[in-house]
Amino acid sequence: MSFTIRKQGEIVVVDVEGQLIVGNRQELKQKVLDELERGEKKFLIDFAQTGYIDSSGLGVLVSLSKKIREQGGELRLANLNDDLRTLFELTKLDTLFQISDTRERALSSF
Amino acid sequence: MSDLREVLAAFRDATECDAAVWRREGAPGSPLKFVAGTAQRPAPPNEWLPSIGDEHDQETALGRLIIIPLGGQRPAWIIVGPCPADRTEVDRYLKFVRPVVVQYLQNTMEVEHAANELAERYEEINLLYSISEILGRTVSLEHGAATILKEVSETVGAHRGSILIHDHTTESLQVIARIGGEGIPTSPIALDDGCSVGAHVFRTLRSVIVDTGEMVCEAERAYRHGAMLTVPILWTAQHGSEPLGVVNLSDRRSGQAFTAGDLKLVTAIASQIGAAIQNARLVRQSLDQQRLQQEMQLAHDLQMKLLPDAAHVAPEAVVFARVVPAEDVGGDFYNLYRLPGNRIGVMIGDVSGHGYEAALIMALTMSASAIHAQGTDDPAEMLRRLYMSVKEELTTTEMFVSAFYAVVDREAGRLRFGNMGHPHAFVISKDGDVTRLEAGGPPLGMADEAPRSESLAWNVDGDILLLLTDGITDARNGDGVRLDEEPVLACVREHRHETPSEIAARVFALLDEYTADVPRLDDLTLVILKS
Repeated sequence: MSFTIRKQGEIVVVDVEGQLIVGNRQELKQKVLDELERGEKKFLIDFAQTGYIDSSGLGVLVSLSKKIREQGGELRLANLNDDLRTLFELTKLDTLFQISDTRERALSSF
Repeated sequence: MSDLREVLAAFRDATECDAAVWRREGAPGSPLKFVAGTAQRPAPPNEWLPSIGDEHDQETALGRLIIIPLGGQRPAWIIVGPCPADRTEVDRYLKFVRPVVVQYLQNTMEVEHAANELAERYEEINLLYSISEILGRTVSLEHGAATILKEVSETVGAHRGSILIHDHTTESLQVIARIGGEGIPTSPIALDDGCSVGAHVFRTLRSVIVDTGEMVCEAERAYRHGAMLTVPILWTAQHGSEPLGVVNLSDRRSGQAFTAGDLKLVTAIASQIGAAIQNARLVRQSLDQQRLQQEMQLAHDLQMKLLPDAAHVAPEAVVFARVVPAEDVGGDFYNLYRLPGNRIGVMIGDVSGHGYEAALIMALTMSASAIHAQGTDDPAEMLRRLYMSVKEELTTTEMFVSAFYAVVDREAGRLRFGNMGHPHAFVISKDGDVTRLEAGGPPLGMADEAPRSESLAWNVDGDILLLLTDGITDARNGDGVRLDEEPVLACVREHRHETPSEIAARVFALLDEYTADVPRLDDLTLVILKS
């Protein structure tokens, strides 16, 4: 489980490798909040390497999304696998996030 | 000293001279001790005593005395006389007697030494025994430390001593027992203290004997005076030794330096103290754990008591409902309400997260839902009001609650529901048609917009309302593959003509077979209703 953060243009891209769960969600949150503090506004979290997000992981995504919006920024998600996609749809979380199928589409949509 | 007396008696028989042996046991100038002789006269004064290689002739009132020093580890002298004027015989016999006496003295000294050694060892063993007893009696080291220090100080003859233990919160060595140096205040010593011998020993895990002359650290003034022996208190675990504290001993009664023997003894005691500290910690830990477990059990019992009995809505509805928490307390819940007009309210929810926080939110949500269920006919409105009641808590804890609430109106043959982010809610008809009761919005706490209630026909004679949480669909088998919804739906569908309890038993059997002995990570909740 690890998070890689890199800048692509003016967008902060976070890759989540493995799972986003109760044990590592704080790490992701802190990393993104650090970037936000530094003045970054545009964030993309890429789940191409992610198998599973538990309910607390979802909680962190929502709370990050709120905090980023408060700072006038935007959080987008990309590359959710079928299971994750279904999870977002069933819980209507897809109404809260901008979700793109691919990283490229997400990057160009900002 | 009868053997030596016999030798000296034989000498007298041969030479007609009395002979006596005197020895000095203490410091130079201290009184002589009579060892053996053919006659005991007053001890010779110091000025009569020649040094090795010399001899002293002394005229006395009794006659002439010859005083000859004897070699050996302790100074001793043989005093011969009064003798006849001719010394030829005396000297001839002295040649034989002298080495015999020297050897004799040497032997006695060795025997004495061995006896002393034995006594010391005996004392040490006694000390170790009594320390074991002290440590065996006490769970708290602080109670035993003072007694242990007293015993060990006595055994090595130290006027001052102290036991310092590592305090994790302040990262310092704290004095838990001391002897001597009364009136001098002590203070904790930081682990990285540069001048403290104790801190040095603690860091290096090595004992140190410090000589008198070395600099005295101000912080150690209370328990150091002159030479000091400092030994680490270690706990030896599988991965190596962990320092727990130090034992300091100083201000020796004899004024002599500490020896390797003292070091060995104190090291043995320090390791006993180390084991005692570790034992005390383990005991405390296990007590804490026990208490925590009891509290968790209590919380679990309370939580389970909040969940209503299915009989609460009988006979209008036949319901099976159960929460199986993954830990002692969890965030899943359900609720059942009797509403005016023979209607039945059913709710299922899942608080994100586990543990106390989730359990508290769960309890809060449940009690608020009971009030709001009676306050409105509209399920979505009920969820909205429920959200308003718990919004503040959800915001501060960054948690959220997925909640589904349905009202079954038997008389009107309708089911109305509101769904805030709950993924698994279904109606399975008598004919086996499965309808998903979809979420109208994300879970409570994620968005502020209110959902709308949906409505569908409800067949009193055979429709099943099936509600479950993701603990069931996310359950993993040995390969880590999720169970998912489909097998559960198929199972309920197949057995839809049975009672809710029978259907539930089939679902749990399916789940048990699927997960086998893979531990479950999430709470799971199942509600099956026929009405």
